[in-house]
Amino acid sequence: MKHLKFLLAIWQANLQSVMEYRVSFLTQVVGMMLNNFIYFAIWLIFFDRFKDVRGWGASDMYVTFGVLASAFGLVSLFFGNAFVLGDIVNNGRLDYYLSLPRPVLLHAVASRMITSGMGDFTYGFISYALSGQFAWDGLLRFILAILLAAVVFASFLILVNSLAFWVGIVSSFTNLMINAMLTFGIYPITLFDNYAKLILFTVIPAALMGAVPAEYIRAASWQTLAELLLGAMILLGLAVSVFRSGLKRYESGSAIQIEV
Amino acid sequence: MNFLRKYWAIFQITLINSLAYPGELIGRSLMIVPFMWIFHQLWKVTFGAAGTDIINGMTLHSTMWYLMMAETIELSRPQLARTISENVKDGSIAYILNKPYNFLLYQFSNSMGETVFRAVMNAVFGGLVVWWLAGLPPAPLGWVFAVPALLGTWIMNFCIACLIGLSAFLVEEVSPFMWIYQKFVFILGGFLIPLDFYPDWLQAIAKSLPFAYMIYGPAKLFVAPSMELLVHVLSMQAIWIAALGAILVLSYRRGVAYLTVNGG
Repeated sequence: MKHLKFLLAIWQANLQSVMEYRVSFLTQVVGMMLNNFIYFAIWLIFFDRFKDVRGWGASDMYVTFGVLASAFGLVSLFFGNAFVLGDIVNNGRLDYYLSLPRPVLLHAVASRMITSGMGDFTYGFISYALSGQFAWDGLLRFILAILLAAVVFASFLILVNSLAFWVGIVSSFTNLMINAMLTFGIYPITLFDNYAKLILFTVIPAALMGAVPAEYIRAASWQTLAELLLGAMILLGLAVSVFRSGLKRYESGSAIQIEV
Repeated sequence: MNFLRKYWAIFQITLINSLAYPGELIGRSLMIVPFMWIFHQLWKVTFGAAGTDIINGMTLHSTMWYLMMAETIELSRPQLARTISENVKDGSIAYILNKPYNFLLYQFSNSMGETVFRAVMNAVFGGLVVWWLAGLPPAPLGWVFAVPALLGTWIMNFCIACLIGLSAFLVEEVSPFMWIYQKFVFILGGFLIPLDFYPDWLQAIAKSLPFAYMIYGPAKLFVAPSMELLVHVLSMQAIWIAALGAILVLSYRRGVAYLTVNGG
């Protein structure tokens, strides 16, 4: 409860900060929604020509793209620093968070709001509404699924960025992993053989951010929900443990930092 | 000739600079590997489902090599628009404007220095993966014809990216323009799906816009080289470069006239 209050205070400050530049805020939100619309048109062209990929059609893509976009947007909005945690470690900027009586990881990742995330988050709902699979109980499942997919994505970002404690600069590797996660997450899961699926549930858990949540939204199933919940909890536990373990190796840069 | 020497020097400096961090260069270039792998999965299934080896004149082999070239072009693009918009917003453009070189030519030399090695590395990694997945690369003539078209693509991209960057003179945030430009390249350039697979009406629209000559043109020349196509692609690129270049020079002149730099 104490942590939640703390998070709400940070998010409020972040929101006030980005709303200072309202035109920029609106431009980014609308621009990102437009960007997603245009990007999705590629899939519409593809399915118009080829109809389906092993039983996976345009309607399934709407749902998968929707859950992925909203989960990505949620993490960008509320845990924007998770994308650049490795840089924060390398530049000695963790000093600031370590010196305050608040959970270091939570404080660090929640201290930045990426405005365009609002566009992604909103677009996800529109994509679901356009899928032709919309139902009110489905909407509740959609919300639950994006929350769990966001936990998966945020945990993955923390895990990958925490490698900075051991290997130093990881920005290229992080970009590679984020791209892989999003690319594999959006493509039809039916494309992949069993070995590839194993990778998509473990090393690059893209299936837990795209295909599995989408499956749960389409048809309520306790088993799918349990898979998603279990995957999200394991990844979160792993991310926190690896970060804590890495933190023991952290060396301050003794640089003067100003966090705005 | 003397006039060009300084821009050649800028190009060389950026080129050498990009080699200073080989780990970063390789790490960035590895991004093409998962993309090519997933494209192969998608198109293998798609060709299998269609029950044919050729769709609209493209085989799985030519589609994969087409996509390798398309990815190489896209992943080699420098973040020029962002750099220029940051220069404009934080006022550091003032330090570039008062140097004895033309701002646009400086940016062009700089961006080309960043692009060349990235393109080579992407082509190497992407080529190796596609070779392993789909078979031998296209005939040498494809490589020869693709190179001048690549140069045209880079110049066109420079003009558009520069225009977006300079729009920071007028608007606070240029990122949405960059995203949307990238997506137009994706769709109307035939980046993720070769234009040959598009419906006729969309092909006609795409081929009347510059984006098709930035991705589809060079990539198609790479897998299906012909003198007719080479002349068509290069002449369309020349027309678009002339048009975009003229707009860029005019916009730059107007933008600089607006510029106010405070402090020191």
